Amino acid sequence: MYAFDYIKATSLDQAAKLLSEKEEAKLLAGGHTLLPTMKQRLAAPGVLVDLSGVSDLRGIAREGDAVVIGAMTPHGEVATSAVVRAAIPSLAELASVIGDPAVRHRGTIGGSVANNDPAADYPAACLALGATIVTNKRSVAADDFFTGLFETALEDGEIVAKVSFPIPDKMGYAKFRNPASRYALVGVCVAQKGSTARVAVTGAGSNGVFRWKEAEAAFATFDPASLEKLTMSPAGINGDIHADAEYRAHLIGVMARRATAKALGKRL
Amino acid sequence: MAMTMSGEVVLPADKATVWAKLNDPETLKNSIPGCQSLEKTSDTSFAAVAKIKIGPVSATFRGKVNLEDLDPPNGYRIAGEGEGGVAGFAKGGAVVKLSDDPAGTKLAYDVEAQIGGKLAQLGARLINGVAKKLADEFFAKFAEAVKAGA
Amino acid sequence: MSATGIGARVVRKEDHRFITGKGRYVDDINRPGQSHAYFVRSPHAHATIKSVDASEALKKPGVLAVFTGADIAADKIGGLICGWMIHSKDGSPMKAGAHPALAQGKARYVGDHVAVVIAETLAQARDGAEAVVVDYEELPPLPDMTLATAKGAAAIHAEAPDNIVYNWHLGDKAATDAAFAKAKHVTKLDIVNNRLVPNAMEPRAAIGEYDDGDGVFTLYTTSQNPHVARLVLSAFIGIAPENKLRVIAPDVGGGFGSKIFIYAEETICVWAAKKVGRPVKWTADRTEEFLAVAHGRDHLTHAELALDGDNRILGMRVSTKANLGAYLSTFASSVPTYLYAPLLSGQYNIPSIYCEVDGVYTTTAPVDAYRGAGRPEATYVVERLIEVAARERRMDPTAFREMNFVRQFPHQTPVIMMYDAGNYPLALKTAMDMHDVKTFAQRRSESERRGKLRGLGYSAYIEACGIAPSAAVGSLGAGVGLWESAEVRVNPIGTVEVLTGSHAHGQGHETTFAQVVADRLGIPIENVSIVHGDTDKVQMGMGTYGSRSGAVGISAIVKALDKVVAKGKKVASHVLEASEGDIEFKDGQFQVKGTDKKAGFGDIALQAYIAHKFNGQELEPGLKEGAFYDPTNFTFPAGVHICELEIDPSTGATEIKKWTAVDDFGNVINPMIVEGQVHGGIAQGVGQALAEQAVYDKSGQLLTASYMDYCMPRADDLPSFEIGMITTPAPSNPLGLKGCGEAGAIAAPPAVINAITDALGHEDIAMPATPQAVWRACQKRPSRLAAE
Repeated sequence: MYAFDYIKATSLDQAAKLLSEKEEAKLLAGGHTLLPTMKQRLAAPGVLVDLSGVSDLRGIAREGDAVVIGAMTPHGEVATSAVVRAAIPSLAELASVIGDPAVRHRGTIGGSVANNDPAADYPAACLALGATIVTNKRSVAADDFFTGLFETALEDGEIVAKVSFPIPDKMGYAKFRNPASRYALVGVCVAQKGSTARVAVTGAGSNGVFRWKEAEAAFATFDPASLEKLTMSPAGINGDIHADAEYRAHLIGVMARRATAKALGKRL
Repeated sequence: MAMTMSGEVVLPADKATVWAKLNDPETLKNSIPGCQSLEKTSDTSFAAVAKIKIGPVSATFRGKVNLEDLDPPNGYRIAGEGEGGVAGFAKGGAVVKLSDDPAGTKLAYDVEAQIGGKLAQLGARLINGVAKKLADEFFAKFAEAVKAGA
Repeated sequence: MSATGIGARVVRKEDHRFITGKGRYVDDINRPGQSHAYFVRSPHAHATIKSVDASEALKKPGVLAVFTGADIAADKIGGLICGWMIHSKDGSPMKAGAHPALAQGKARYVGDHVAVVIAETLAQARDGAEAVVVDYEELPPLPDMTLATAKGAAAIHAEAPDNIVYNWHLGDKAATDAAFAKAKHVTKLDIVNNRLVPNAMEPRAAIGEYDDGDGVFTLYTTSQNPHVARLVLSAFIGIAPENKLRVIAPDVGGGFGSKIFIYAEETICVWAAKKVGRPVKWTADRTEEFLAVAHGRDHLTHAELALDGDNRILGMRVSTKANLGAYLSTFASSVPTYLYAPLLSGQYNIPSIYCEVDGVYTTTAPVDAYRGAGRPEATYVVERLIEVAARERRMDPTAFREMNFVRQFPHQTPVIMMYDAGNYPLALKTAMDMHDVKTFAQRRSESERRGKLRGLGYSAYIEACGIAPSAAVGSLGAGVGLWESAEVRVNPIGTVEVLTGSHAHGQGHETTFAQVVADRLGIPIENVSIVHGDTDKVQMGMGTYGSRSGAVGISAIVKALDKVVAKGKKVASHVLEASEGDIEFKDGQFQVKGTDKKAGFGDIALQAYIAHKFNGQELEPGLKEGAFYDPTNFTFPAGVHICELEIDPSTGATEIKKWTAVDDFGNVINPMIVEGQVHGGIAQGVGQALAEQAVYDKSGQLLTASYMDYCMPRADDLPSFEIGMITTPAPSNPLGLKGCGEAGAIAAPPAVINAITDALGHEDIAMPATPQAVWRACQKRPSRLAAE
């Protein structure tokens, strides 16, 4: 790690101000990506602005037909939240399979969506549920928020404040874990509300999380069988030492069907 | 860790114009992702500094860019290598071929890239995606430059 | 059996300090005035070092010194050694290149030590290292054996122009060829033994210190054998004579073989301590450990088994290429030769065996002993061949094993080993009963109904432990003797310190050794302390590896205890006024035969030191005895493991459902600790079979240098193991111990792969059987029906 200044912000406005004023400033949420990177000396922010003292960034609430989760809420709280479990139980389940207990204790939803790691779990939930990412400046639809590999619509000085998830009729998340890192090798989140279904895929796209619109269109009825004939092309799918594009593309189909079955309370 | 990829774009300009842009330091500087400086050291070589940011990782590469196998106005190979300090090193190149197209000029490219050191040791899962992203960015910006100049 | 004696499940004495954070590891130690070392490592697999410019680094705040290969050459510091000479078929000695502690002229793998920066703080040392400018000229990377042995490949060391270190062989080629010529069936297999990275919980670390007053160096290091480290650093590397070099290996958090070896880093720390006049500390970070710890395994093998018309084994032919990495590590040469081929007979009667091994240099980290060291590789060859041969002959794999088992002991194999005791059919039968193999077919059908493929795999392993008779290993090329030493110091009030040349790094010696002492002397276990890991306290020792601490280390203690008892009887004869021959020692009491005259062990100890009751000229005061024990044979732990697993063909995920292990470790001192060793060994073996793989790309970059990409087995990858034991005591040592430390890691890989191939219905899968590999294998049509 290189030397840096550390400032613990007490309000979102203060954090935003520091972020735009200070040269090479970075936000510290759970720190699960940033701190290891800094230890490797692959990141050298001049200032770390810690958000953990901004109390109104943490918490979970039901607001009308949405569940709203503060950016600094750790995964473990989402996984065990009575509010989330009652309204969107699959979202709690998704949070419960992120990393390990230590990661879930510190890692935050805001950090996860702002980092937009191509193998992170939350971005898939955001896309499938049609979430709204609320920042200190505006509200952005998930479809417009995740713009590429580690890239989002966030502008300079913009901070994720909360994520609002509309409550679906049904949701299911199926994750095939990278055996080494336990990130998603392929994760598919399927959500149904009224007559529309959305399918989001993480871990697989070489450009990050994406919606699988062919699958969404294939749902004649919201049932795994509707997806059986569908195959995903390996073009544009990531390949690495753990899984090449062909295998990942195949897993997307399997995980989409499993996620759909889970959404229906079945096991596939 | 090595990767290869290829692609093509059709540019709304004639071959001679595209060729000229391919040899124009200013265009190259604007197209190379994160390029902070590109100084000519000979007719076909440049000293370059590029700052690459991928998620939380940022690394500044210092090195050179060479233009090789020149075949005006049909194509060349643009090759670069740089030292990224603690991050390791990167090198690679793209064989660029120009051909006439009804809509202007077709630019086809075959990219190969290699990284070593910490980036390879820790970032293997991301390499394909990152390489594709950087190549796409280069040719997208280059296409913009051609369109702007056309 | 007493509550703390031999055979008791005594809770580990050392765990109190480990689980309360009171362990004292090298990194916990900080010396006054300590400085920190950080190594500049090659980012290239193979490169000429044209220059190293440290001028900017030396200007950085806190930087005390920067050293390169030129500095160690100028100080005439010798290279790291390989301590086992192997000769090629033609009788020529192995072609070993130099292994300088800092690269001289050339870097030969990614992570090779090019320079070291020593600074006030670790951060300053890292800053300095980043400022060192090394001008490399890249040479062709040769990260795998195919590339390294291709025609015209660049030489990694000038001494081995074709990158072949040796072409070694063992066995009778003519007899084996003759056996194959008359065979009715030949089973052939190509086998990959995947490259692994040892992952001790504690990474390597070292602190070097030099006392200018008396000219003594001290090295704190993460070593499995501090005396061997001292010997090598003194006699070969030339740091200082042994009497001026103290090596301390305090608590060490796991080794698995990787901490046997003498590495560049500790050599540099102890050497540099004098150069900078300050203690020098280095602790590996995890990625450094991945890059530069000695890796394990990495064999390519073609193996053949010849059978007669009755399916009896006639012969075995094995041809192996072993990747030794870029330099020969301390015992690298012996692992794929004498620790491998002599185990190819497995548990079977095989009249003729011929094995040839090419040791190959590549531009990768050095490869050396890793839990099992050669024996897992041999067992994988044997047990895959046996299983496939049975399948090809449409025989039940257990019946095929049964009919070919060795049943008479001693049994001389055609590859050196003389098996002295065992009961292989009993282990197999016990395991099959425990596993409920009879009902496997029902479990398989039930899996099929859920769309899953279920498989059952066996592994009947044998290993040679307790290494080893010194004369025997000497005749095979070892540079050292492999005895062990012990000293038993009885204090005047009857408490005991045992100094052992064995070294514990997770094995629980402080408990098991104390159990033996308490049992033998009839004293409370609390009265026994085990001292190890310091060359100033323990006179000599060969260390812990190869499951030798029981069979050899404890045997030395037992021998010393016998001397203590004999001396005690002499003292007792004066105290009890009886002739020495009439004194018996039992349950902690010296007693005059046939009388009730007796004295406790503590009383006799006190009398030995007071020395009032005997003439000090005739009987020396005091009670302290030492012993060196050199075994008469290897020991041969053996057993049967059964793996039952389920494959999800739609994803390739494999789930181990049931695991039964029946081992014969001879007599057992602490069954709980032994079971723990078996559990850990199986986990490591399953890791090799399903998950672990060191991956170098074509340019020689290590792509698996963190846990993001190097996959370790986790608790939830494993079922609860069913562990059983049978006992045939080892005849070669006083307590009949065989050793248990490596068994699981040796047994597990073929059990897993035999189960996977049973489920798949074909043999086309290599380790590690990752989900992707298994999914691909599921796309291939079964070449046979699943075994019924």
